[in-house]
Amino acid sequence: MDIKEVTFSYDKKRDTLRGIDSTIEIGKVTTIIGPNGCGKSTLLGVLSNHYQPQNGAVLLDGKSLGDFKPKELAKRLAVVHQQNNAPSDMTVEKLTAYGRIPYKNFFSSTTDEDEEAIEWALASTNLLDKRSMPIDSLSGGQMQRVWIAMALTQKTPYLFLDEPTTYLDIFYQYELLELIRSLNKQHGISIVMVLHDINQAIKYSDVIIVMKDGRIAAKGKPEDIITADLIRDIYGVNVVVKHDKDAGTYIVPVGI
Amino acid sequence: MKAGKIMSGINRKTISFIVVALLLAIVFVQSALTGSISVTPFELIHGLLTRTNDDVAIIKDLRLPRILIAVFAGAALSVAGVLLQAVMRNPLADPGIIGVSAGASFMSVLVIAMFPTLFFFVPLFAFIGGALAFFLVYSLSWKSGLDPLRMILIGIAVNALFTGLGQAIGFSGGGLTQSMSQVTTSTLTMKKWSEVEVVALYGSIGLVLSFFVTRWCNYLSLEDRTAKSLGVNVNLARFVISIIAVLLASIATTVAGMFAFVGLLVPHIGRTLVGNDHKVLIPFSALAGALLILVADTLGRTLIAPNEIPASIIMAVIGGPFLIFLLRKSDRIYGH
Repeated sequence: MDIKEVTFSYDKKRDTLRGIDSTIEIGKVTTIIGPNGCGKSTLLGVLSNHYQPQNGAVLLDGKSLGDFKPKELAKRLAVVHQQNNAPSDMTVEKLTAYGRIPYKNFFSSTTDEDEEAIEWALASTNLLDKRSMPIDSLSGGQMQRVWIAMALTQKTPYLFLDEPTTYLDIFYQYELLELIRSLNKQHGISIVMVLHDINQAIKYSDVIIVMKDGRIAAKGKPEDIITADLIRDIYGVNVVVKHDKDAGTYIVPVGI
Repeated sequence: MKAGKIMSGINRKTISFIVVALLLAIVFVQSALTGSISVTPFELIHGLLTRTNDDVAIIKDLRLPRILIAVFAGAALSVAGVLLQAVMRNPLADPGIIGVSAGASFMSVLVIAMFPTLFFFVPLFAFIGGALAFFLVYSLSWKSGLDPLRMILIGIAVNALFTGLGQAIGFSGGGLTQSMSQVTTSTLTMKKWSEVEVVALYGSIGLVLSFFVTRWCNYLSLEDRTAKSLGVNVNLARFVISIIAVLLASIATTVAGMFAFVGLLVPHIGRTLVGNDHKVLIPFSALAGALLILVADTLGRTLIAPNEIPASIIMAVIGGPFLIFLLRKSDRIYGH
């Protein structure tokens, strides 16, 4: 996936993204981090064609995102948004099955392929025993897994997640990150996500994109790019970066 | 236990459907038989087939049309309510509350008052009026997304505007015409077979179309951006569903008058009884809406005969407490 000179603004006064030029590598976990208002969620929105850039383009398989039919794009790229809603009496399985919408026209009914995709998605997200439950009986962590199951049912090579761990307590955060990692490792799905927690980003990413003021400030392997200088520049926080043979690379904030 | 829960869910839906359909059939027959002229079921069928019974002839000319109109108007308004709630993602959307019915009524009155020769085209103008009101509410309350509260407030304002305009025309014409009072009040007296044809034709078209968009209605219950990521053409879905809703509400209003509240009440009863899946909710609301208005009209004309209480008043009196009862019992309102 190639990002070519993308600029984007919500109100035409101030650019939220200013000349983003980069590549999302296939088969990797790429995480976008940065302070509030740096444009990281906006970048994810542009990459998933939710926002159309004023200048530049995002190319998927050499074709601009805007040139895909909505359903064709939905077969290549699935998105788990930060805020989601569905009727509370809907079952886990029914909601998961919505991921098959891109494969359906107005009248078509459920096919074997649909069934398989749904089974696979429920199994991958460990929801098989919850399939007939109404979603209002689920915990926050389980609910987030349902949204991921719905995205998996789309059977896309790319999965985008906008702050998937927000609102979850620490167990469910790590459960979700492990799930995302296994989707990448076992099924080869390319992951692009936005995270707030820098240590989680270091631990679970192949590539980190650090953003500030609508630009990419750094990009590369976590252990290569995360330095005390960078974090001070980007967030204004003094940190100590540690390398530990058990814990890997991590940062500890020490003040501002 | 889990299986039991699923079973009871299925049973509850099926039982609700059977009960409402049976009640509708019973009330339909009972309503045809009772009133200022009473006949037996045998006399009614015999009279209708042979055309030899004068009482049955009167029933056929006066009572059957209002029964059929009550049935179609109830179904149309209820389904219009479900559709508007889906489009606006707002449990308070109702053609009577957000001004669609008032817009349709106003245009009908305007055409009848100004261009009586266009009487035949009144349904078309009602549709235009309803669509105008809906467009105003929708576009004025859109500010990078539909804010539910803002939408209802603008709807109430648009409703007041069109209701006022309609009444202004009514007053300026003095005791203008009989046909005008029909669209501004909700009594179902003096209905003709020609009006049955209008509501049955356009009402059926709207109802059949609404069954085709149940999937879209379900998709719209997701967040817009989620639906878009799934490749759903959200704008097209909204547009088509809105047109069907406006058609149903406008036609019901031109023929049966203003029935505020029914498009709000019936879908909520439906949601608590059969759930939020539109494949079930839309047909159920059609049946339940038909039943509700038919009961209201039948009670209205028999309780204090020979005087009549308008069906909309009866409906509000039964429906209000019933809605409160259901809401108190269930915490699932519009699925959130």
